[in-house]
Amino acid sequence: MKQALHISWIAVRELIYERVFHLLFSFIGLALILSILLGQLTYGEQTKLTIDFMLGSAHIAMILFSIFMGISLFQRELQMGSISMLLSKPVSRTSFLAGKYLGQILVQLGVMLAITGIIILSLLRFEGVQYIPILQALLLMFFESCIVTAITYFFSVNSGSITTALSSFVMFVIGHYSFSSSHSKSLSSKPGTEIILSLVPNLEIFNLKTFASYGVTTSNLEIILSMSYALICIVMFLVAAALTFHRKDILT
Amino acid sequence: MNSSACISLTEVTKVFKTGLLKTKTAVDNLNLEVPAGEVVGLLGPNGSGKSTTMKMILGFLKPTLGEILICGESSNNISARAYIGYLPENPRFQKFLTGKEILIYYGKLLGLQGTHLKNRIELLFELVNLKHAAFERVQGYSKGMTQRLAIAQSLLNQPALLIFDEPMSGLDPLGRIEMRNLISTIHAENPKTTIFFSSHVLEDVETLCKSVALLQKGKLKTYTSIESLISSDQQKYDIVIKNLSPSLELELFGKNTSKSVATGKSFSIEGPERLSWVISQLLKTPAQIIGITGQRRQLEEALFKASEVFTKTEMPA
Repeated sequence: MKQALHISWIAVRELIYERVFHLLFSFIGLALILSILLGQLTYGEQTKLTIDFMLGSAHIAMILFSIFMGISLFQRELQMGSISMLLSKPVSRTSFLAGKYLGQILVQLGVMLAITGIIILSLLRFEGVQYIPILQALLLMFFESCIVTAITYFFSVNSGSITTALSSFVMFVIGHYSFSSSHSKSLSSKPGTEIILSLVPNLEIFNLKTFASYGVTTSNLEIILSMSYALICIVMFLVAAALTFHRKDILT
Repeated sequence: MNSSACISLTEVTKVFKTGLLKTKTAVDNLNLEVPAGEVVGLLGPNGSGKSTTMKMILGFLKPTLGEILICGESSNNISARAYIGYLPENPRFQKFLTGKEILIYYGKLLGLQGTHLKNRIELLFELVNLKHAAFERVQGYSKGMTQRLAIAQSLLNQPALLIFDEPMSGLDPLGRIEMRNLISTIHAENPKTTIFFSSHVLEDVETLCKSVALLQKGKLKTYTSIESLISSDQQKYDIVIKNLSPSLELELFGKNTSKSVATGKSFSIEGPERLSWVISQLLKTPAQIIGITGQRRQLEEALFKASEVFTKTEMPA
């Protein structure tokens, strides 16, 4: 456990040093500014649309962050060969994986808090904004990004950078698309889709953006259930990644 | 297994899947025992299985068949790695960290802490001559400095076994000499530590190793002491002579055997007995002997012969 913490601390520093991190962080800033500007261009429901745009931008940014930072942090270490010196020490592969994941999640938490701060500050000029639904949406967005990071780690262990990025993104899309109310009925009637869907986490339950823009608060029980579901998904993907990683031949 | 063996490989085979139905045997039924405190060079052409063997010892690759023991413990156990210090061929560090931070990081992973870790780091920086760059970011380090830092990290826990994968790879001549001296110093200061290293530079192997293991197509071709390998071959000498009359040249060396050098003529002589005889003849004449140098042992030649001559594994004495 101590070793995983040491690895996570270095992972945090590594991510903050990364150029990709700075690019993604700039993208988040730009997307949020654009959201404010787009919201102002509308005549009616200015508050609703601004919240909508902002949460949408934050969502895309967090997913991109999860996938690309995951690849950068985990996959690159495998490809560069720096992992060999680390694993030549009495460090288990599970500790390595857990340490990297924990480090990335800590940075993601920091990014999420920064996004939350920016959103709340930019909404202060509007009257009658319901902040609780917005915070709930952002909280579940963070948990969703943690699942996507775990998925990225799972694919990173098994494949290269491009395949990992594509596979993780496809999982994210299926996780939303197949479980959204408009598509779930038509998909479930098709043969074989049930099996595929059972392997993909339902990411749609973390989507509270519409509720937030209409100011509808979700019950605490629902939030807790969603968070529990996220934790189960994270553990499942990380255990699968650890099992595969344990058996993997390290050739670098 | 020999109880004093630091590394013991018993019937180790590694087969890689190269396609749906294709496989490649990288290491084939390898048996090797390296005694504690020995410096052993692992030699072989590209694709002979050197790296695969090293990676199996380190636990990066799992043998398809056979068993590997490190100081009596299976290489599959994480605890076996507490005995190992490893220097990869191209060491890579987190470039945003300073040399000192790197050593603190790896030290903590080894369970070292406090004053012990601090003292150990200071000692190692002095040993590898990097004290001046301890607070510099690794991204500014030269190849030689990075290599020395990697050696320092491998020595953090005073391991019983040091595994160096091509330690001189990519270094300039001066860097290579420094690295060679450093490895010699490490061995002199830690005579109980086994050093197992691979290299393509035979001169380095000859200078540093007591024994050499030669792999060919995944099989151990020979494992013998450098001494026995070289003594089986004849020593050659270069002699530079000035004022040598053509008739004596013809008598001693034959026709067209000389090479002109700045100080005279250079001849190659085989064996110490013939050298003594040539010197005795020259002393009777006005010819001047400018210098005599022993040619570097042709380890390459000796190994080439050994790979053909040895049909079974021979353990060094």
